[in-house]
Amino acid sequence: MLTFVALFLPLFPLSALPNLLLARLRPSFARAVLLLLWPQLGVTLLHWLQPEIPAFFVTWALLSAAFYALRLLTVRDLGQWAGLFVSSALALTWGLATRGADTMELRLFVFWFSLPAALLILLSDPLAQRLGAAYAGLFRGLIEGQPRLAVVLTAVVLSAVATPPSPGFFALLGLLRGLSDAASLGILGIWLVWGWAAIRLLQGFVSGSGREIAAADLSRGILVTYVGALAAFVAAGLIFAGGSL
Amino acid sequence: MSHGITCGIPTSRSAPAIEAREIDQVDRLIALLPAVPLLSAIIVFLLSAGPRHRVARASIVFSALTLMLAAAALVLYLHDPQPMLVSFGTRWGSIYLDPLSCIMALAVSGISLVVHVYSARYMAEESGYARFYLLLDLMASAILLMVTAGDLITLLVAWHLIGVLLYFLLDHDTARSAAQRYAFWTFFTYRLGDLPLILAAVLLHHAYNTLSLPLLFVRIASAPDMHSVFGLPLLTTVGLLIALAAFARSAQFPFHTWLPYTMEGPTPVSALMHAGIVNAGGFLINRFAPVFVYAGGVLHLVFAVGLVTAMLGSVLMLTQNDIKKALGYSTMGQMGFMFVECGVGAFSLAIYHLIAHGLFKGTLFLGANGAIGNARKHDGVPHDDVYTFVVERRPIASRLPWVVAAIITVVVPVAVLGMSHWLVGGNLVGQQGAVILLFFGWVTGAQLLFATYRLRAESPWRVMSLIILSLVVVVVGYTVIEHTFSLFLYPDRSLSRHIYAAASIPLTIFEILVAILTVAIVLGWLAAYYTSASGRMDDKRPSALRLAFYSLISREFYVADLYAWLAQAILGLSQRLNGWLRWA
Repeated sequence: MLTFVALFLPLFPLSALPNLLLARLRPSFARAVLLLLWPQLGVTLLHWLQPEIPAFFVTWALLSAAFYALRLLTVRDLGQWAGLFVSSALALTWGLATRGADTMELRLFVFWFSLPAALLILLSDPLAQRLGAAYAGLFRGLIEGQPRLAVVLTAVVLSAVATPPSPGFFALLGLLRGLSDAASLGILGIWLVWGWAAIRLLQGFVSGSGREIAAADLSRGILVTYVGALAAFVAAGLIFAGGSL
Repeated sequence: MSHGITCGIPTSRSAPAIEAREIDQVDRLIALLPAVPLLSAIIVFLLSAGPRHRVARASIVFSALTLMLAAAALVLYLHDPQPMLVSFGTRWGSIYLDPLSCIMALAVSGISLVVHVYSARYMAEESGYARFYLLLDLMASAILLMVTAGDLITLLVAWHLIGVLLYFLLDHDTARSAAQRYAFWTFFTYRLGDLPLILAAVLLHHAYNTLSLPLLFVRIASAPDMHSVFGLPLLTTVGLLIALAAFARSAQFPFHTWLPYTMEGPTPVSALMHAGIVNAGGFLINRFAPVFVYAGGVLHLVFAVGLVTAMLGSVLMLTQNDIKKALGYSTMGQMGFMFVECGVGAFSLAIYHLIAHGLFKGTLFLGANGAIGNARKHDGVPHDDVYTFVVERRPIASRLPWVVAAIITVVVPVAVLGMSHWLVGGNLVGQQGAVILLFFGWVTGAQLLFATYRLRAESPWRVMSLIILSLVVVVVGYTVIEHTFSLFLYPDRSLSRHIYAAASIPLTIFEILVAILTVAIVLGWLAAYYTSASGRMDDKRPSALRLAFYSLISREFYVADLYAWLAQAILGLSQRLNGWLRWA
């Protein structure tokens, strides 16, 4: 039963299925929806089944999260990066579940990490339209040619890797409160690797002197939409994740 | 909703004095100190499409306003010296105004204003002018939030944000790959330092069930032996974690590699970083001073790490031929001294040191470009004796007899330091920290006099007298100011005494160490004078050992190489895993 739930709150090697689905789906919108709904299904299953979660699940979850965090370091395709990041982050939900967190807390926890990943998937479209592929290192120096796109990409990536004041930061602090000291150390290590991977990704898109890209920047409307979504996300995080600390 | 914390507990070993104080509208306004640069950042963003001078002007005006608010906070504290905690009805997001936060806020906003003004012209030709000012304002806001944080979460948020913002400031010139590389080094080291602080905060909250810093310190004082973590007492573990966070932030060995290379960033950022951001480690240790009362072993570690860093930084500085990189290593050495001060329990001295160092190092950085320009025009090499005597018709410069100079060097600094310490009522026997710091003062003073001896002059006695007079003025001034500063920063003298006590080691061991050190220093200086007077210092033939040592220094002890190798190994493993597993 728990193994079935581990398909939705992905633990390696069961995480291969959602990652494969994410790779096969073509429309970005569908992939973003998958990222948002898939883990919520896992939380719903946990709520229905109310299983007894054995202690070794926390170790498995941490190893799985660490494994995907490590792989994240050298992934250059933005869509794949988002998928592997979610695999790493959502595995940590098991730490919260073992502690006996309620369903709403679990739903919010997975949402704080899956929304930025979904936004990254959506951002891969405008990047692919302008650069040919949303691939870090292919074209660099986005900040000079397309500053709006660079700013939005930077903000979403930082938000994903739990940079304050994004909700992920408070969610991780909340998670650390209830875990053993050794598990806390593990999570902090994973958090460190996320930051490393995020900067590597951003350096592949935003910084650097690349070939000139003669493409338009994001329109003001799209910029406002993204900024508005992120601001609402941060505000919600401050209220729900930050407020519960 | 605002309220002052009322706690009638203090007075036991580590509790800071916290008493009630009425909070009025002015207090609330001052509590918004970190919000002013944030507002400035928003305005800069809105003005970013307009002319550059409007962006700079707006940002400078807000910086000046921030400085005025910080000054007002300090004046208000001096008027009514009670710490004040302002919360906004939430469990975190509070501001704590005590002597430490008031003085730090004033120093930070002052340095920030200077950097803002300097950048207006310095960055005028650079791309991303508005972005630079926006980041500068955000950074000022984050630093002010850090120094005034009244609870653990606010402190963590600010601490974390500073690392992220510094990355973007150092990487401002995005086209330079070196800037990117070293900005990343800084980011990674800072993240490494964030994690122990997070763990320390989690442990403290778990044990004492409060986020509020003043309340936390009161609870620590009333129950210091609550738990044990990893087999160590809780407060020892927390102290160690806080020290680790401070080491990474203030470039202590072995977390120092990023600091000298941050020169790749714009000069105003270097000035801000060396004058302010890098000092955060000293601030953090002072903020958690009540924890260190119960973590004496950690203070010994802080002392050892500071000492190693100070020596390595100074040695590496001497081998640099790039003025900015030399300044970088000099900062590393100074940070080492700052940690040595913390390690001996002289917490207030560390804050005085970081402010003084911040001011002079900021000035040096902002003047570095002018110095480089001048050096290109005038080499500054003195003429030789023949030229001086025959062409300039001036007497040949000479030196004092080496025995006389050696005696002056060994005796005068001891006398000056001892007397100035006695002047402020220092207890030499009771405070080991004071003795250690006097040793440092002695060596530094002796260094100055030795440099004077080596400097040939027409009238060597006159030069030596003037230098000794300057030394007296500086030492007496420094001691009196530091003593006053210490009374201001730690009005609760029992806390200060307990920190000194925690940093002490058994008296017999201490006295033996002092005796050995004294003999070593005296013999060392005599040997240095004898070598200099006998002309052996001018012997240009380097021995194989010296060459090996020099090559070790030139590679900076291979620490950065080791990190690069480790990083490559991890990235290689990641790459192989991705190759095998693809999408799975």
